[in-house]
This record gives sequence, structure tokens and C-alpha cells, in this order.
Amino acid sequence: MIVIKPLLILCVVGLLVWAFRNRARVGMRAGMKVAGLLLTAFAIAAIVDPGLTQALADVVGVTRGTDLLLYVLVVVFAFAAVAGYFRFRDLENRLVDVVRAQAISEAIHAEGMPGADRGL
Amino acid sequence: MLACVLAAWEPDPEPKVEGTGVPGQDLRNRDVWVIVRCFNEAPVVGAVLGELLEEFPNVVGVDDGSTDGSAEVMRAAGARVVRHAVNLGAGAALQTGLRFALLDPAAHYFVCFDADGQHRVADAVAMVERMRREDLDILIGSRFLEPSGGIPAGRRALLRAARLFERLSSGVSLSDAHNGLRVFTRRFAGQVELTMHDMAYASELLRLVAASGLRYAEHPVTVLYTEYSLKKGQRSVNSINIAVDLWMQRIFGRRRG
Repeated sequence: MIVIKPLLILCVVGLLVWAFRNRARVGMRAGMKVAGLLLTAFAIAAIVDPGLTQALADVVGVTRGTDLLLYVLVVVFAFAAVAGYFRFRDLENRLVDVVRAQAISEAIHAEGMPGADRGL
Repeated sequence: MLACVLAAWEPDPEPKVEGTGVPGQDLRNRDVWVIVRCFNEAPVVGAVLGELLEEFPNVVGVDDGSTDGSAEVMRAAGARVVRHAVNLGAGAALQTGLRFALLDPAAHYFVCFDADGQHRVADAVAMVERMRREDLDILIGSRFLEPSGGIPAGRRALLRAARLFERLSSGVSLSDAHNGLRVFTRRFAGQVELTMHDMAYASELLRLVAASGLRYAEHPVTVLYTEYSLKKGQRSVNSINIAVDLWMQRIFGRRRG
């Protein structure tokens, strides 16, 4: 139980880094969807049979089923937070590209190419 | 099509002409573009641009979505204006200015100059002259090369911390990590692709300098700590935001293509 903790932490952090380095890949996006489906299936199963989380906790080595749920919740939340951060940044990059292109083309449209007044 | 015409246009065989004596036809520094980023600096930016235009014929003001009419002030001062429709941040504005100035095929030197009046035009002139003399691609202003008073103690300590941070993260060793007064050659300016759009761009820029392998140096400059520039300057707390953003980028990689 003591040994499993640092191992789990390493796994979670490693998975997070790996997932977001590869977040643009099609396989990754598909993987996230499959993970979402599995999570839903597990949630339904856990509602139908509340003993399931305890059984799983026993397998993993966690004392209580509720603790296991809490851990999973923390991991999912961390994923969501980091995903949000990067999604936001990607969007911001696109916004910058669009605004910059518009600004430069407007400036050229208004007063010509930079330096053009000199040479022509 | 205009671009083709311009590409065919050749600069004078001797670009270092010292001035023709004809008012308004000064050929000095016509291979230089000064980039002034501006976000709500209307009270001061006009005077700053006016001073710059006395020495440099090519000045572009990048209005980063100001709401106080800065763009009109800059246009009235006689500078070219590129206007972001929304506020994007200091790094994004600098990148826009560089991209615009690079469209001028005669441009060889690119000067970054702050809009709040904290830099001296004389320093910019001296830096460009040094670039012409020496084999350098990047020249960065520094407050610390010469003992100059007037830097508030708190700011001095913060800048020293920033310097250590730069040294650890970029490998570039500078005495003044975040001076806004910089001069690039076309060789370096052409390869600058900033992905940090806010103030964190300064650190990213140093990493690009290190990665380019081009020659860089520092030049002693004086920063005028006016009441206005101190009020408008970055708040010290923002350095935490900058550090976190930079390390996030390092760990998780750059933007996707």
C-alpha cells in the first residue's frame, strides 16, 4: 500500500504529460472518448451495485470504496483542468493569428506596404 | 503584386548616407524600423513617436487594442499604425510589428522601443550605430552595465531574480533580463516566432536568441523611471504568472502545428 502510492502518482503524472504532448493526435482523441464511455459504464455499474466500488478498492489496495472514488475524481478533475488550460491556449493562438493577419492587411490597405512611400 | 515591385526595388548602393540636408528627406536610418508596442498609452505615446521620427524615418506603432485613442495619437504623430482589433498582449504586439516591418525589403535593423517614454531615443540611435559597426545580430539594452541610480530598490531585486531565472532556463546570460529596448538584424528578426503572447515573451525571446546561435551583446542604456512609466509598468506579482506559463510550455510542449 505504501509502495503503490508513489507508483500511482508517477503513473498519473506520466499519463497526463504523455496525453497532452499527443493531444492533437486522432488516436488520442478517440482514446479520450473511449475513456469517457468506460467511465460512464462504470458509473452505471456502481449505481446498480454499490458494492462494486468496495470490491474494486479491495483489489487495488484502498481501504474504502469512497476513497477510491475520491482518488478517481481528483485525477479526472486534474485532467479536465489541464485540458482546459491547453484548449484555451490553442484557441488563443488561433485568435492571435487571425487578429494579426487582419491588423497587417488593414494597415497595408490603408497606407500601402511598409516603406513603399520611399521607393515609389 | 505590389510586393513584387518592392522586391525588385533596390536600396541605394550606399545605405549609410548621413543625411541630405533637405528637411524631411533625411536618408539616415531608412534601413531601420522602430517597433513601438502600445496599449492605452495615449497621454505619452505621441511625444515618444515624435522624438523617434526625428531620428528614424520608419516607425510602426502597434496598437494592441487600446481603448483610449492611442491609434489616432500615433497616426497624428506621423507613424505607421497596425491595430489589433482586440488586446492580445505584449509578445503578440511585438511579433505583429516585426512581421509588418519585415515586409519592407529595405529593412535591415529592427528596434523595439517601449511606448511609455522609459527609453531614450539617443540610446536607440547609439545601439543601431553599434550594430552597423560590429558583427552582431542582437543587441539588448541593459540598465546594469553602468552604475546608474534611479532604479527603485524593489524593482532592482526583482530584476536580479529574473536574471537568475533566465540564466537557468535559457542559458543566455544577461545583466538585464527584461529591458524593452532591443535591436535585431533582419537575420534574427526573420526567425522570431513568439508563442508567448503576454509579458512572458521576454523570456521566450532570450531562448530564441540562444537557439539561433547568432551573436548577441548588451548595450548600456538609461531607463527613465518617470511616474507614468512606474505606474504603467508590470506589477511584480505578474512574474509568478510568467514563470508558471513558461514552465508549463516547457513541460507540455509547444503549440501544435
